[in-house]
Amino acid sequence: MTVSAKALAQVHPEAHEHDHEAELRKEHLMLDPKPRGEMNALVMEAMLTTSWKFWAVAGLMALVTVVGLFGMWGYSISEGMYTASVNRPMYWSYFLVHTVFWIGISHAGTFVSALLRVFRAEFRRPFTRAAELMTTFALAQAGIHIFAHMGRVWLAYWMFPIPTQRLIWPNLHSPLMWDFLAINTYLLSSTMYLFLPLIPDLAMARDRSTGWRKSVYRVLALGFRGTESEWTHLRIALNIFAFAILPVMFSVHTIVSWDFAAAMRPGWSSTIFGPYFVVGALQSGVSAVAMVVITVRATMKNMTYFVRPEHFDALGKLMLIISMAWAYFFFNDYMVQWYGGDSFTDSLLHFHEAGPGGWVWFLMLITNILVPWLVLWNKQWRRNPWILFTVGLLANVGMWAERFIIVPVSLQINRVPFMWGHGVKIFRETFPYVSVEIPIFIGSVAFFVLLYMLASKFIPLVPVWEVQEGQMAHSIRRYGKEPVITVAELE
Amino acid sequence: MTTQEKNLLLAVFEDIDPAAHAVDSLRALGVADAQVTVISGTPITEAMMGRKPQWSNVARFALGGAAAGMGLGIFLAFGTPSLYPVYVGGQPLIPVPPTIVVLFETTMLVMLISTFLGVFLDSRFPNFTPMEYVPEISDGRIALLIECAPELEKKVEAAMQTQGAESIRRAQAEVV
Amino acid sequence: MAIPKIPEFKAEWKEGEEGRWGMAVDMDLCTGCQACVVACSMENNVPFVGEAEAGYGRSLGWIRVERLWEGQYPEVKMTPYQPVMCQQCGSAPCEPVCPVFATVHSQAEQLNVQVYNRCVGTRYCANNCPYVVRVFNWADFDRPDPLPNQFNPDVTVRRRGVMEKCTFCIQRIHRAEDQAKAEGREVLDGEAQPACAQACPADAIVFGRLDDPESRVSKLSRSNRGSHLLEELGTQPRVTYLKGGSNDRLG
Repeated sequence: MTVSAKALAQVHPEAHEHDHEAELRKEHLMLDPKPRGEMNALVMEAMLTTSWKFWAVAGLMALVTVVGLFGMWGYSISEGMYTASVNRPMYWSYFLVHTVFWIGISHAGTFVSALLRVFRAEFRRPFTRAAELMTTFALAQAGIHIFAHMGRVWLAYWMFPIPTQRLIWPNLHSPLMWDFLAINTYLLSSTMYLFLPLIPDLAMARDRSTGWRKSVYRVLALGFRGTESEWTHLRIALNIFAFAILPVMFSVHTIVSWDFAAAMRPGWSSTIFGPYFVVGALQSGVSAVAMVVITVRATMKNMTYFVRPEHFDALGKLMLIISMAWAYFFFNDYMVQWYGGDSFTDSLLHFHEAGPGGWVWFLMLITNILVPWLVLWNKQWRRNPWILFTVGLLANVGMWAERFIIVPVSLQINRVPFMWGHGVKIFRETFPYVSVEIPIFIGSVAFFVLLYMLASKFIPLVPVWEVQEGQMAHSIRRYGKEPVITVAELE
Repeated sequence: MTTQEKNLLLAVFEDIDPAAHAVDSLRALGVADAQVTVISGTPITEAMMGRKPQWSNVARFALGGAAAGMGLGIFLAFGTPSLYPVYVGGQPLIPVPPTIVVLFETTMLVMLISTFLGVFLDSRFPNFTPMEYVPEISDGRIALLIECAPELEKKVEAAMQTQGAESIRRAQAEVV
Repeated sequence: MAIPKIPEFKAEWKEGEEGRWGMAVDMDLCTGCQACVVACSMENNVPFVGEAEAGYGRSLGWIRVERLWEGQYPEVKMTPYQPVMCQQCGSAPCEPVCPVFATVHSQAEQLNVQVYNRCVGTRYCANNCPYVVRVFNWADFDRPDPLPNQFNPDVTVRRRGVMEKCTFCIQRIHRAEDQAKAEGREVLDGEAQPACAQACPADAIVFGRLDDPESRVSKLSRSNRGSHLLEELGTQPRVTYLKGGSNDRLG
């Protein structure tokens, strides 16, 4: 046996070290600090720069919103619900699918911002606001769909717990009332949670703008200067919000799931619907955050400094974990329903997989489980914005499919086989030639994009002070020759 | 500008360390802590400046709001069915599990609203009166707003100079 | 062995408590002639939705006559005709889910009533009805002449976006009760008749008071031929379906 004693190939130790530290700084925003003034200038420039392309897209979105969303919604209000695909026994249809879809998307804003704040996940810093904006605007779309689904929307205020001359109060036995309370709480608190950390950035924008913007920011910044006490109040409030908004967020989607789970129907009456829906919401929401962050980085000026592949990496990992959790809950729900042996549930499960919508069921499994699991384990792939965007888009398609399976498809099977039926077909012979749900959904997507585009030009999309705070807390420390990232607790 | 009772100086520093040292030297000159306000563009904790923690009522507002929200929930869950009793689905007039949902949501809602308003009240927001402020602060500078007796003014200015203040000026209330 | 006492957590109704008004449908007598469906639509101002909408399955009939095929061709067996209307559940799943109290349990008649004026059209009640007997006004459907001439003045005309369902012809119940009160007596058995029972040529639908043990409907409901639809759900339906055996054994 021959033993060859050979020195291991070694890079020059100093060159290696140097590389490593520079790499770390290039990789992590938190280790690549810029003076605050420069960062402010970057964010202001990103906010103030618009091109004709921006206005062209915004104009198109406004047109689609007016025609698709408000036009078709108005038409369906004046004509009645026959303009939609709802039918007996499929009394809920796409409107509710889209409501749950938008509420799901709204969940990630809080998740990214509050949960990651609670756990001090530092990668959140540059895009918390982008995510919170998404929450608020997506909830607005969800609200529009709830109202669009009502038969007599002009009486929607009868659901508000306010004293009126009618003397009657809403029915708090109803899951829809819990829903109303929960969504209302969530909408208000997520809007406040968006506004609080925005105040210092509005003050920053106030200090370096002129004209009408100056006057508007002056009003919105409320006279914030940054005194010790102002920061203290803000910090305490943000901590309270971060901890308190999480249970609110969980309650919202749990209650949305109870709209279904509390009902006496095969396939709906499931005790695991609460967490299953919450995880589903995170699945679509975190994917949507990834899509938004990628879009913002690609279209807005100076964003390549703030948003880096490390963020795609982190979001990709989150998406992978959530996809695994979703698969777990899906299987859990399926297993127990299947094992129960109730004949109507059996029929429903068979209908899910082998009915006319069976391909949607398989699509859901492919885009929610197969695609993320096959793609996101690879670090290089999940750091690629194109791949991550595609996976995020597919996950949202998959989550849409999940809600489609749960709402209209499941409603076609009930306990009275004589009344099994289906919805009214999407395309019609008469005006408007299509079920109103389709243009209303397209319009609401356009409305969301429009609101987001306008907001990105009106408020600083990157929370500069939070980024700076994070950069202050980060340093590189050496253990022997290894440079390691060290984070200080500043609060 | 009307003559001010208070003699205010605004010393702007570039970094935390000189500002913290400046706080010490002010103390040495006999300027009370309460007469110094630190203004910064990023959250600088009181500990970094070697100052006492600020008093904040925000948490108390939150607690009060939670109690008020619980009260609102109790009114909705227990009060409204009694105001107009309607029986549904063989359920009791005031069912227990839905009541918990209502109590939770209203408690959280009013708690968060009062936390939000608590920040406003504690920070005296909105405040559109002229303030002693310079826009450089939101560029990451740290400013000390010092209220000192006129006879101390020269000494304070000199001390700030020694600590490396970027600029020292007589603070003027401006519309920002 | 002592049976442990189970606390009644949810329900206030007591096991076995019967509502005041009830119905018995003899499926052995029903011929499937649909006279009940027509009579019901006439009595209750049920709109006609037109050919296209009816083709989608959006017709608004409050009562339907069910019949299913059983088995594989050629061994096909037809199930008996079964008229299905609102079962007026004692513990109705449709009621608690309405956010605006548009469907409630009436304390006087022990019926499940729909308050059209309160309805905002969330359609949750219809989803939660295991019998799928609730119908929704998809539009303000046209009533071509001379249909407006036959409106029943005792019944509200519903507009678009409102849920509706069988009421056990509550307007007729009230008329009979008012008459009896004016004459200072109890309502006689058979005095209040919903349109479907009145129109049934085979006398398959019997309506009356369940709290009177001597009424015809009470006796039929106690029959061992009787069963309730989806009884296992615990909804306490007020309609009894009779099937099998001869009629002679019945009172």
